[in-house]
Amino acid sequence: MKILVLYLILLKATVTSFAGLASLPVVRDELVIQRHVLTDKQLNEAVVITRSSPGPVGLYVVSAGYFVAGLPGAFAGWLAMVTPALLIIPLLLFAGRRAEHPRVKAALQTVVIASAALLLAAAIPLAKDALVDYVTIGIAVASLALLLKTRLDTLWIILGSAAVSVVISFLPLLKMG
Amino acid sequence: MPSLKQIAHVFTRYGNLTFGGGSATIAVLHQELIERRKWLPEEQFVMSFALSRLTPGTNLLAFCTSIGWQLQRFAGATVALLAASIPCAVIVILVTVAFSQMQSNSIAQAAIHGAVAAAVSITVNTCWTLAKPHYKYGSRLRVAFIAVIAFALHVAAGLPAVQVLLIAAVAGFLMPERQQ
Repeated sequence: MKILVLYLILLKATVTSFAGLASLPVVRDELVIQRHVLTDKQLNEAVVITRSSPGPVGLYVVSAGYFVAGLPGAFAGWLAMVTPALLIIPLLLFAGRRAEHPRVKAALQTVVIASAALLLAAAIPLAKDALVDYVTIGIAVASLALLLKTRLDTLWIILGSAAVSVVISFLPLLKMG
Repeated sequence: MPSLKQIAHVFTRYGNLTFGGGSATIAVLHQELIERRKWLPEEQFVMSFALSRLTPGTNLLAFCTSIGWQLQRFAGATVALLAASIPCAVIVILVTVAFSQMQSNSIAQAAIHGAVAAAVSITVNTCWTLAKPHYKYGSRLRVAFIAVIAFALHVAAGLPAVQVLLIAAVAGFLMPERQQ
């Protein structure tokens, strides 16, 4: 895949979303479903990688870019991540006042809610790929409960889930021994 | 007025190394920029924060760009954006490379299985985090309606995500919420 095309696809995803993971449905649509250059498994892993390393969640496009096209792909992902940030300069200059306009506010609110619904839709196939047995389903349910009910950092949830999964993978051996 | 080098230093150090997402990083930057270094007034910080929520893409990067712009115009904005995004991107690339190479190790595989299952929950939880601030008394029906329509357009009608978002923007613009 041409790097410029990859950049434009990822840019389309980042420039139409208003929070880190909200761009995921577009990325999945284009790279997994239509072009088959990325798998659901890799997309899931990209999310894990960015949640277990420092920096904003939007970084997952860097990881996804790497899975598609190696280092140049990661560069395209980085560029697609930083480009929309520059849009705040014209916003600062011109729109500071108009952002309070009820119609503009409502449009932004509707986009945010729609992006939440799209993200939920994108999570379904990711779940099908990742939740393959009672252990992974149990981990996902426990993680979701912790995320909703506590302020525990996602890093600890990821590390904890990894540790639980490793321990359980040894259990059959222990029983046999 | 801070130099470009000082801007680079602060955003490299405090813009990258925080776990737990944008709000934690912004809290740390508030401490550094407003309380300790007094680089800019509180109002400018708050305006940057509000506008960053309205900027597409990663809010935190737009926020850093805005602070950089207010300190040193275009040069400051560029330096802040690069400083806040390059180090963490390099770390992500290194972790991704390590990740691809660990696939054959059975312990690493078990760990990845567990971590990926948690990632699904993180994705689902993000949906709620996005919608929650709007899900207030009096707007609940509106929020639920928008979410269900968007979900149905994408999943049942098969419309691409970008088109659903554009439709949402137009619908929101045409039907603003009644002021209380």
